[in-house]
Amino acid sequence: MAGLISPEARGQFAAIAQVRWQLFINSLRTMRGRLEMVSRVLIGFGFTMGGLGGAFGLAAASWYFTSHDQTEWLALLLWLIFLFWQLFPVVATAFTETFDSSNLLRFPLSYPSYFTVRLVYGSLDPGTALGGLWLFGIWMGVTVADHRLLVPAGLALLVFGLANILLARMVFAWVERWLAQRRTREIMGILFFFLIISFQFIGPLMARFGGRKHPDVSRFSGLLLPLERLLPPGLAASALAHFSQADFAAGFASFGLLCVYAVAFFWFLNVRMLAQYRGENLSEAPAAAAPRRLAKPGSKEKLAVRAGWNVPGVSGPVAAIFEKEFRYLSRSGPMLFTLIMPLVILLIFRLSPGKSGPGGQGFVVRTPDLAFPIGAAYALLMLTNLIYNNFGADGAGVQFYFVSPVRFREIVLAKNLVHATILAFEMILIWIAVCFLYRPPSFYYTLTTIAGVLLAAPANMAVGNLLSIYTPKKFDFGTFGRQRAANTTAFASMGVQAAVFGIGALAFLLAHFLHKLWIATALLLALAVIAFVCYFVVLNRVDSIALARRETLIGELSRA
Amino acid sequence: MDSPAIITEHLTRTFGPLVAVNDVNLRVAPGQFFGFLGPNGAGKSTTIKMLTGLLAPSSGRMEILGVDLTANPVEVKRQIGVVPEGMALFGRLTGTEYLNFVGRMYGLDRLTAAKRTAELLEFMQLADQPKKLVTDYSHGMQKKLAMAAAVIHGPKILFLDEPFEGVDAIASGTLKAMLQRMISRGATIFLTSHVLEIVERLCSHVAIIHRGTLVAQGSLEELRAGVEAQAAAALEEGTPGALPPAGEKLTLEEIFLRIVGGSRLADQELSWLA
Repeated sequence: MAGLISPEARGQFAAIAQVRWQLFINSLRTMRGRLEMVSRVLIGFGFTMGGLGGAFGLAAASWYFTSHDQTEWLALLLWLIFLFWQLFPVVATAFTETFDSSNLLRFPLSYPSYFTVRLVYGSLDPGTALGGLWLFGIWMGVTVADHRLLVPAGLALLVFGLANILLARMVFAWVERWLAQRRTREIMGILFFFLIISFQFIGPLMARFGGRKHPDVSRFSGLLLPLERLLPPGLAASALAHFSQADFAAGFASFGLLCVYAVAFFWFLNVRMLAQYRGENLSEAPAAAAPRRLAKPGSKEKLAVRAGWNVPGVSGPVAAIFEKEFRYLSRSGPMLFTLIMPLVILLIFRLSPGKSGPGGQGFVVRTPDLAFPIGAAYALLMLTNLIYNNFGADGAGVQFYFVSPVRFREIVLAKNLVHATILAFEMILIWIAVCFLYRPPSFYYTLTTIAGVLLAAPANMAVGNLLSIYTPKKFDFGTFGRQRAANTTAFASMGVQAAVFGIGALAFLLAHFLHKLWIATALLLALAVIAFVCYFVVLNRVDSIALARRETLIGELSRA
Repeated sequence: MDSPAIITEHLTRTFGPLVAVNDVNLRVAPGQFFGFLGPNGAGKSTTIKMLTGLLAPSSGRMEILGVDLTANPVEVKRQIGVVPEGMALFGRLTGTEYLNFVGRMYGLDRLTAAKRTAELLEFMQLADQPKKLVTDYSHGMQKKLAMAAAVIHGPKILFLDEPFEGVDAIASGTLKAMLQRMISRGATIFLTSHVLEIVERLCSHVAIIHRGTLVAQGSLEELRAGVEAQAAAALEEGTPGALPPAGEKLTLEEIFLRIVGGSRLADQELSWLA
């Protein structure tokens, strides 16, 4: 501890804070940096509102539960905060700043200083800020309801918050260890997607089984409840409940167990940090040169010749890029999982019961004609990552496009062709899935959906092509998470999606209002023509825009 | 006499107030192995980036094989091969897939691209691990692959930015063998390197850029003669030790240091160093 407050350590902390500040200031030198700043301010405003609103809501709920002697319900609030705190940094990577502190190792930082820097800077994220604010809300609510809880509730919630911070950092440190190598990184990506998909099923399953007194569900709940009380949110809630009932022995027992959790998280985090501090190198080992096979004297071994793909109707370079993009996608587990998500969503909707009761049917089941448009819209959303960041996965390879004798127009066209092919393939899969899960979509809905996609796809591609050049962001197809999208791109893509879906919905409403369903199809097709014109206008300007922006594009994508 | 392979006229590039390349006039004849030298930050990479289309010049003109680069970039790019600073590889392709891709981007038909890919991988000793992704290659293997990609279409001019940086002796030998073969067949090679011994051994002509300005250009002998003439003139003015000992030639490193000027640590400077 003494090492932490030494003048040398204080100087090091100040230097790190200063360099972070300087990096931030320097990022504002470019227009792109300033736009990012505006986006962050807007996002920050949203988070602040969410944080304050949530804190007031939680304060009111915890006040109600405490003053009405229903403190067992505090567990629910703490579980929500706990899940948010742990999952938010993983799910919302776009809003989480990552700080590579591995460079710190070359400086004479003591281990306590290193640990503190990693812990503090790693915790400067919206998840921690919101979680802390919401715990403060609960503390206020509980204390207003029962003044005697001021200190014990404060202590319990403080340790709970600390346990959350330590757990989040511990999980990240271990995940970082597994993400350091390509193979484990890809396995992690696939596991993560399974996790996300399984979360999607929780709602429908809860709705299906939750309302009924199913014996298996009751037995399962009976097993889970005692377990819940032994986990950090349950223990914190239990401590609060016991303190409010003046059962201090039980309260301190729960509090003590909560402290044990915090210490355990600290210890596991410490194991990882210590390994890093001692110089553990997890980077990919360079490939060892394979022993060269010596050809027999006089023999001429046949060289393995494998020609590239032949894509009919397009030039050689376009076919080459087409093949390259598909190879990239086929080697990316996370991307492939993203592409099957629309089918998973249709399945979830199929399982999802309606609001009229457990026996009722879900919205999509009641109106199966909408299943195909919903699936198609979701497929388009899933492609957003690719369409709005065409060159992100190319990394430093983007330089090759500028030295090759191929116009950027052709390169972008090839990439859009890949996206269009994937979209068409997905539409066919979704149509087949809808036939099996619901019923074959009517001719009218099929046609109107296709018209909608013909509007949405070129509109998204036109804007996406521009943003791919103006706000590129390097990302690794093999990794999921820890990859920040450009905020400007995120905002613009949301705007385009909202506009396109809004136009689609308006067309549908107008057609229903006039009782002439073909109007929607005609309207969407007419707009699709305009979207295609815009797309080609942008495509024809891509060459000059890319050449004018080549330094930014190469600089951003070639970053280590 | 053949027209020059590379000409730059008043080539200038500024970054805000910084003049990275200032009024550079280069002439490289066909078939020359041309070394472009300069200290760190002198403007070497900026120049090579402009010559290969990776960076737009602020002003000036560039002509490659008689074609204006700014007016006809695609025509020029068909005839040149480039190994840029970051190598420009696509990490998630195998070596075979990458070379096939590059070949077709340069307009080769599928079969020709595939045949040349196989030959190049064999020559570069990269054919043994066909399923390995480029991202899993060692640095030296990546350099060899980048070089193979730069020559797959048989370019008339090859631009190499630090091709020997981080490359071991074995890989370096392979690369040099390939470059010498290209020169013997009439290609022009324009390379930047910090390793002056390699430049001295390989290059017939060099140019030296310092603080964005071209300070010397010519064959090694011309540069040596120029430096020695200056030294002799200085000796006449009473500056001692400027000429090499009798019978010895100035090395390229000595020529480079005399032209660019290296800083010498004075006794009172950095006295706190151990």
